[in-house]
Amino acid sequence: MKLTTGLMATAVAGLMALPAVAEDKMKIGFVYPSPIADVGWSAELNAGRAAIEEHFGDKVETLFVENVPEGPDAARIMNQMAAQGADMIMLGSFGYMNDGIKLAQQRPEMTFIHASGYKLAPNFSNFQSRNYESSYLVGMAAGDVTESNVVGIVAAYAIPEVIGMINGFALGLQEVNPDVTIKVVWLNSWFDPPKAQDSARALMAQQADVIYSLYQDTPSVVTVAEEEGVWVINTSSDMKAYAPNWLLASQIADWSSFFIESVQASMDGTFEGTAFWGGMADGTVDVKSWSDKISEGAMARITEAADAMKAGSFHPLTGPVVDQDGTERLAEGETIADPDLLGIDWLVAGVETRLPN
Amino acid sequence: MDVLIFMVSGTLAAATALIFAAMGELVAEKSGMLNLGIEGMMATGAAMGFVAATVSGSYTVGFIAAALLGCVLSLIFALLTLVFRANQTASGLAIGILGLGLSSAIGKKYESMTLPGVPDLPLGPLAQIPVIGPMFFQLDVMVYLSMLLIPVTWYVLNRTRLGLTIRAVGESPVNAHALGLRVLWIRAGCVAFGGAMAGIGGAYMSTAYTPLWAEGMIAGRGWIVVALTVFGTWMVPRVAFGAYLFGSISLLELSIQALGVNVPSQLMSALPYLVTIFMLALISRNTLFIRLNSPASLGATFRL
Repeated sequence: MKLTTGLMATAVAGLMALPAVAEDKMKIGFVYPSPIADVGWSAELNAGRAAIEEHFGDKVETLFVENVPEGPDAARIMNQMAAQGADMIMLGSFGYMNDGIKLAQQRPEMTFIHASGYKLAPNFSNFQSRNYESSYLVGMAAGDVTESNVVGIVAAYAIPEVIGMINGFALGLQEVNPDVTIKVVWLNSWFDPPKAQDSARALMAQQADVIYSLYQDTPSVVTVAEEEGVWVINTSSDMKAYAPNWLLASQIADWSSFFIESVQASMDGTFEGTAFWGGMADGTVDVKSWSDKISEGAMARITEAADAMKAGSFHPLTGPVVDQDGTERLAEGETIADPDLLGIDWLVAGVETRLPN
Repeated sequence: MDVLIFMVSGTLAAATALIFAAMGELVAEKSGMLNLGIEGMMATGAAMGFVAATVSGSYTVGFIAAALLGCVLSLIFALLTLVFRANQTASGLAIGILGLGLSSAIGKKYESMTLPGVPDLPLGPLAQIPVIGPMFFQLDVMVYLSMLLIPVTWYVLNRTRLGLTIRAVGESPVNAHALGLRVLWIRAGCVAFGGAMAGIGGAYMSTAYTPLWAEGMIAGRGWIVVALTVFGTWMVPRVAFGAYLFGSISLLELSIQALGVNVPSQLMSALPYLVTIFMLALISRNTLFIRLNSPASLGATFRL
């Protein structure tokens, strides 16, 4: 893996060493944590890159390096991009944060946008999505279609973003169907498709008839669900093609508007280091490929909830919310604050599996 | 009952890739060749097997292509260590890294694509038996071949002239050479077999077990194979036992989590490794026995 990254880095360095055709072209570098495939996290970020190219045309030049491990390799690649004249860098993974911030301080003339994370600088923004909003909607659909009243979740690591999504999902589910048991299998691994598939099978063996595949970048869970005839919900990108019959819905994120705004701000010199939270309201977060097997009544309620979120009148994590221990986390009418969401470490009542601690 | 069926049939499938690669590695190590490149050879096999099966539409072609490429990689290892007398540990690691890079190059265009998966072997009435059928008789042909490979490997190593030759070369290459055995060719042959089996094991992961290709999908299973061989003290039944144990505990971990039992999941994720090492260390705690079974020249460069 390191070898290919090295090779690609060399290739990119070679590209960048070419004499600049027009000096006023803005150079934007992208660093992706995984290989760009048709689907998955890096594919979504790469769609944002394509949107920049389409929007700005000749005014920008983009470069990217995919499958960059967090740590020294990432630092080397972003430094190389900077050395070769990149004006802006998009960092696609949480673990790039510290190296990115360091580079941002050394190069105040450059701008950076970083996926997730919490550190900011005047020329270093981060961006995250309110995925718990779309999680709530797909949760409602899961509550509608389940017959066994057991729903399983395959999740990578118990980080705040994932916990927030499970909570949103569970609350949406309980809104439609209060009797559902929610089981979670933590993989404790970012990438292990065979293990993700085994987890889905383990959940199915325990009567789960809807599987929520949380941040599995490959279609591993989706294909096994299609094979076994079990409903599946996917995160990150649309996987309808992999499960034409049994995909209940896909949660997607569309970064193009944020990326384009950030590039424009860098060009105009108005870039400010801010934390961007994209949600249903600005179109960053959405749900695609709803199955037509969801009942009309449920679909109407889902649309209603989605419209309320878009209008800003409804927050999925609104009290009363009780956690697994029975402690009240949000009082009647209270909504969770963004900083609390960044550090969320509790699951709502009704989720059977505990958080790893 | 569903959980039990899942556990039994799942274990047989989960252990298949490990069995193929571990039997290959066992034979190579018995001849004195420590091949640490298994992870890379499995990854290359997975990529090659997937691509070949997708392009040709035949799983057989996929497995053959994967075995051939595994063979080629392991022969590079043999060339480095036997002809140029490079250090086995370093060469093995280097070939492993080469294999990982090669797998990503081969599979680049096929990233995240899927296959229908090798179909189950039609076993007719056997598959219809309640409980037992779904546990043992609704699996693909490679699972049964891996089961067959265990006794065959044992028989060849322990009951045939070829096995005796391999063991003699691994025990004392100098004496074997003095007896007129062609040490280099025998070692190269064993390494090539190991590479082919690792390739098949990898291809099983990408075309049957998780029928998709994604870079990095072998996720450390090649290292498990190396560990199984050592902790199983180079004995076929113990290595096979270790592979099934590892497979079953890794599924048990997920089932326990899904049951909602309140145990830290990080500990659960470490469980397959802990239990397998503990069990194998326990049954192999006789040091005299270990010395008798471990190939004395393992990892040493053969010089005349």
